[in-house]
Amino acid sequence: MGLAKGFGVTLRQMGKKKRVTVPYPEEKRAKPQRLHGRHVLNRYEDGMEKCIGCELCAGVCPAKCIYVRGGDNPPDNPVSPGERFGFTYEINYLRCIHCDLCVEACPTQAITETKLFEFSFANRQDAIYTKNELLVGDDGRAKRMPWEYWRGDEDDHTSAWMRATSSSGRSDYEGRVNWSGELGFGVRAPEDGQTVDSNIALAPTHATESHNGHNAKADH
Amino acid sequence: MTAVNEAKTTVTVTIDGKSIEARPGELLIKVAQDNGIYIPRFCWHERMKPVGMCRMCLVEVDGIRGFPPACTMPVSEAMVCHTDTDSVKAAQDGVLELLLINHPLDCPVCDRGGECPLQDTTLAFGPVESRFVEEKRHFEKPIAISDLVLLDRERCIQCARCTRFADEIAGDPLISFVDRGDHTQVLNFPDDPFSSYFSGNVVQICPVGALTAKPYRFKARPWDLATVETSCTTCAVHCRGAVQSSSNQIVRLLGVDSEPVNQGWLCDKGRFGYEHVHSAARVLTPRVGGREASWPQALDAAVAELKSAKNLHGGGAIAMIGGASGTNESAYAWARLTKGVIGTDNVDAQLGDGIAAEVVLGSDRAQISDLDNAAAIVLCAGDLKEELPVLFLRVKRAALELGVPLVDLSAAPHGLSKYVTHALGAAPGEQGLVAEQLASAIGGATPANETIAAATRSIGSREGNIVVILGRTSLAERDDTVVSAAAALGALPRVRFLSALRRSNVHGALEAGLAPGFLPGRVSLDSGRVHFTSNWGSVPAERGLGTEGILRACAEGKIHVLVLVGADPLADFPDRSLAKQALDTVGVVIAIDAFETPSNRRAKVFMPCTLWAEQGGTVTNLEGRVQRVSRKVSASGLALDDWRIASELAQRMGSDFDLETVDEITEEFSRVAPAWAGASTATIRNARDGVVLPFADHLGEVVFRRGGSSLDIEYSLSWEPIRADGDDVAVEASDVDETAEIDRTIATEDALTLFVWDRVVAPRSIPQRDAYALRVNVGRKLYDGGRIVAESPSLVGLKKAPTMLVSSADAARLGVLSGESVKATSSRGSITVELKAARGIAPGTASLGFSADGTGASELIDASVSVTDIRVETLR
Amino acid sequence: MSFTPENLARAQSVIAQYPDAHSAILPLAHIAQDQDGWLTTEAMAEIADLVGTTPADVQGVCSFYTMYKRRPCGKLVVSVCTNVTCLVVGGPEILEHLNDRYAADDDVFVEEVECLAACGNAPAMQVNYEYHEHLVPEMAAAIVDDYKSGVLQPRGVSGGLK
Repeated sequence: MGLAKGFGVTLRQMGKKKRVTVPYPEEKRAKPQRLHGRHVLNRYEDGMEKCIGCELCAGVCPAKCIYVRGGDNPPDNPVSPGERFGFTYEINYLRCIHCDLCVEACPTQAITETKLFEFSFANRQDAIYTKNELLVGDDGRAKRMPWEYWRGDEDDHTSAWMRATSSSGRSDYEGRVNWSGELGFGVRAPEDGQTVDSNIALAPTHATESHNGHNAKADH
Repeated sequence: MTAVNEAKTTVTVTIDGKSIEARPGELLIKVAQDNGIYIPRFCWHERMKPVGMCRMCLVEVDGIRGFPPACTMPVSEAMVCHTDTDSVKAAQDGVLELLLINHPLDCPVCDRGGECPLQDTTLAFGPVESRFVEEKRHFEKPIAISDLVLLDRERCIQCARCTRFADEIAGDPLISFVDRGDHTQVLNFPDDPFSSYFSGNVVQICPVGALTAKPYRFKARPWDLATVETSCTTCAVHCRGAVQSSSNQIVRLLGVDSEPVNQGWLCDKGRFGYEHVHSAARVLTPRVGGREASWPQALDAAVAELKSAKNLHGGGAIAMIGGASGTNESAYAWARLTKGVIGTDNVDAQLGDGIAAEVVLGSDRAQISDLDNAAAIVLCAGDLKEELPVLFLRVKRAALELGVPLVDLSAAPHGLSKYVTHALGAAPGEQGLVAEQLASAIGGATPANETIAAATRSIGSREGNIVVILGRTSLAERDDTVVSAAAALGALPRVRFLSALRRSNVHGALEAGLAPGFLPGRVSLDSGRVHFTSNWGSVPAERGLGTEGILRACAEGKIHVLVLVGADPLADFPDRSLAKQALDTVGVVIAIDAFETPSNRRAKVFMPCTLWAEQGGTVTNLEGRVQRVSRKVSASGLALDDWRIASELAQRMGSDFDLETVDEITEEFSRVAPAWAGASTATIRNARDGVVLPFADHLGEVVFRRGGSSLDIEYSLSWEPIRADGDDVAVEASDVDETAEIDRTIATEDALTLFVWDRVVAPRSIPQRDAYALRVNVGRKLYDGGRIVAESPSLVGLKKAPTMLVSSADAARLGVLSGESVKATSSRGSITVELKAARGIAPGTASLGFSADGTGASELIDASVSVTDIRVETLR
Repeated sequence: MSFTPENLARAQSVIAQYPDAHSAILPLAHIAQDQDGWLTTEAMAEIADLVGTTPADVQGVCSFYTMYKRRPCGKLVVSVCTNVTCLVVGGPEILEHLNDRYAADDDVFVEEVECLAACGNAPAMQVNYEYHEHLVPEMAAAIVDDYKSGVLQPRGVSGGLK
């Protein structure tokens, strides 16, 4: 009985023009602006790493896929500002559920997420991203690995910049930009509806990708 | 307590509408806590006096203007208190906002972050946003206030927990508040570091990350840690602790608040000594003839030596020294192997630096908690602060806080000297004599002198037992002076003994029968013969030798195989030249150890064993309390537990123990050992504070754990006393496993009686000291040359070269300046040592630290003479 | 520097006045400061030894009181009030003037202090705890110079009469 009912839906939709699915991978949808994809480790505008090795991301991770160990900054050639830096940083993408809690937990906005989700591995070792893969390059952009399929500017907006309100949620700070500048991007522009403190110098606005629902074609 | 007082023992207070019965004078914060109402606090600590520093515990009390702090407010009849009104919350908000003004927000790189009371309290009770926008105060960070403790002054909230601990509990006020107002900071005096033996405790009780331990700093975040409850086995006190590891590496040991034992405190050697477990110097592969071998090869080689010695010369040609560093189970397995399989009674867990097993096993015992309400504490032991630091804290507290008179028989000044009530001024080697005088005075005879008379009066005026802390007073004297003191005092009706033997699980080893003339469970070889023959197959025919005798027999070529189980006679035996002669002469050495030592360097077979936190089981502390130790990290390399090595050897010797797990050994031990009758694995596991043996005598004291066998430590509470919950229900005999009853029946059938020492002492005479010589008192130091210190990177630097202390009169007589190096010569040998003039040393005597690495004092001591006299000459 | 024999004898007699030797820390620190001109670490260590406590304890007590100087303070301690009343009638100007004038002078130690309880005749300052009131900057400097040249006889740096 249930079977007939189920097929009924299929038969009714057959031939109708207004289709909601797309024939992935030939055709791909634009990703929402806040999609959670593969992580990046950000750097400050002067090239210093933002990660301080505090392990809060590892602590909050519900999938226990992050392994971090901090190290003491060498005084003559510091990796990050302050006492400590992220000496080891690993994310196991076979476990990661892209919940973004690590991004929420990060006190320095060191870890954020790009929109990349199309990547696969031939072995388990490759699935464990280390600092080598995660840290942004000298242009401030994600390093693109051969097994990752990047489309356009998916690393333009990593999701840190959406955390624009004060952590305690006090209304005075709502909608105000409250994060540090990033290598290659400077201080990110606010989202729609957010204001900017006059004392923060914003990076020149860059072309924002269209997210009005048109379907981007795959390049190959 | 009299009936009049009993009528007024409780008052009724109302806290947040809840009616609570409490003892008058109890602090409001404690009463609330005991009844499930948590009042936030930073400075108040249950084990210290209240100070009212942090103002976090403000409450409202009807009829009292303003907000009194709950930590300094004693409860009184009909008191009505509110902890959750809007005005209390506003007060808490204000206090927290104020405390946070100068507190940096570096939580992500702070060791306390994640287990921080200030974080937790701010989240639960604090304001949402700070109005403070000015610059916070800054200090150089971190500064080392000692070799082990770092201080970030920026993070300090001035709760005075550390300074109060140093002053009140440890008695080393080496840190204090400096400056005032917003410049207030905790500091040590310049060039005078906070080198307390208890400095690690201030790190544990600090409610912020201001004090951090160098060995743990940045090692892990609290949420990385996995925890098990265990006992520290660095000395024989067996403080309860929670050992924590991250990635299979031990990173921290926290003190657990066990009322009868350590009351939350640990000494630094115990707290940081875990590092030796991960030392790079560990031997992790068996060796045969100096070359690495497989376990079967090593075991076969060992068995071949044991068998051939036994067949050619009999079991008596084999001797074993050691077994005190492992668990009771390991000790039992080795006792069964040596006495039941090999058939030798030449077995000793002590290294000639303790006291006769007869005295320890056969005297009336006291518990540590008996110190608190003793009629008097008689000190007849070495320096407790150096040897058993947490017992020192308990004795200090009893003397200072609880007013128990301290009667001192020591010949040299020690850590407790300034708390002593009656110093009887015994000369080295003469403690026995003075003890006899004291005993006869207490017994009613005319006191020999005024100090003894005063001590007798103050003992006589108090109720309770006289607790005698009995240990080796000096390594430069034979133990007979202590034994005769024990004999004299033991004859008195109210006297109980607390053994001060210091080595790790030596009491467990002695109970397990690792002493000549004894079998497991405090029975002598003769009285246990029938019982153990039926259980083990055979027992040695006659009493064997102790360590001194074994070494002498080795030197004379009478012993062919010497088994060293975690023992290093060259380092620990007081008479080095005898130990050296023995090890040079003996045919074969079989070593079970974790480290290569001078004693086992030429071992024919070396079998690596696991260490603390790598092995589970039970251990027995100096009061006879059996507690569980737990395994936290996996065994390093190919190391095996001692008991497994014994059991494998037994099997190869043709006798299968049929013991596969630690619990099986515990069960067998409690089945066959009379003193253990009734103590099953389950009871020991579930008893909150362990069980004191013999079990039947202490049934009423056992408190069972609430909520299973493991201690669920919430890491956020590590700054408060960590406690295992328990049901304070006295256990009736009928509640205990029925096996207890059965076991006692077996014991009776075999006519087994627990050994009682007959207090017969051979007459002794102390040689006269010639006028030019100094009679030397040699004691252990906490940071000596032993393995734990040597292999722990954080502790190794704390070891100091031993100095010889003499009175200033003697220094002047010798024409030596304080701080100068001198040559000290005894009948045995001579050493060069720094000499210092010190207060409190009697003229004609000298005090010298034992370095426990085969150098120094052990070159001077002749184990066959009762005291050591030295001549001192300058090197100029 | 350690106590001179006379001062050691004085210290012993002070200690003898108290049932608990610990109570003698403050008077002993005054003796030490009057002797050395400031409270040296050696003095604090010696005081600790005399009263039977640790140097850290003595340091804690002494650092609470601003009249104990734990670094060299020359011969004259000039305390200028900048609290409310003095603030409105020129205390800060006096402080600034004296600070500038004696910046390189090791004998004169100028410090800013809270209320000296001389509001009635503000602005006020003390030179070695001797009051001088109704000041203007030049006048204050002249007073300090008079002390330096010996026209005025200063007290000890602890305020005790020399």
